[in-house]
Amino acid sequence: MVTPENVERYIREGMPCEHVQVSGDGHHFEAIIVSARFESLNRVQRHQAVYRALGDRMREEIHALSMQTLTPEQWAISANAESRGG
Amino acid sequence: MDIKDRIDTELTRSPVVLFMKGTPTFPQCGFSSRAVQILQACGVQDYHTINVLEDQHIREGIKQYSNWPTIPQLYVNGEFVGGSDIMMEMYESGELQQVLGG
Repeated sequence: MVTPENVERYIREGMPCEHVQVSGDGHHFEAIIVSARFESLNRVQRHQAVYRALGDRMREEIHALSMQTLTPEQWAISANAESRGG
Repeated sequence: MDIKDRIDTELTRSPVVLFMKGTPTFPQCGFSSRAVQILQACGVQDYHTINVLEDQHIREGIKQYSNWPTIPQLYVNGEFVGGSDIMMEMYESGELQQVLGG
C-alpha cells in the first residue's frame, strides 16, 4: 500500500519544492505543496504540475489526492495567519 | 463521432457542465458530492452533469481532454475550471460565484 511518505517522496522527486506535507490513509491523500515554480502558474497549471510529477502513479497507485498548492510567499502568509490564531 | 467531439457536444448543453461520478442526487464519490454541494451553495440551479461511471470512454476521454487525471471536473462556458479542490478554493475566495454568475 502507498503511504503518505511515499507520496511525499514521489512529489519531491518529480518537481522542485520548498515544502511538502502529505497525510492520508493509503487511498485518499491530502497534500500541501509549496514551490517557487508555482509563481507563474494559475491554479489549474499548479495542480497539473503536481500530477505530472506523479505521472503514472496518479493512475495506478493513488486513488485520490486533494491538494493545496502555494508559492513560498503564500505559504509564509498562511503560516503567519496560523500562528496568530486566525 | 470521436470522443473529443462527444465531449465538445456535452459542453454545449449548458453553460455549466460537471463531469462526475454518480448523479447530483446520488453522487458515488465524496469529491463529486462536494462539487455538487459547492454548485448548490453558489445558487446554480441549471447545470448539466455527465456520470462518467456509465461511460468508460468518456471517463478516460475527459482526462485526456483537460490533461487532468481526476474526476470531478467543472467546465464553465466550455472552459475547464478545475476539480473539487480548486472549486472549493475559488468558492471560499468568492471567485467561483463570479465565474458562475458572469
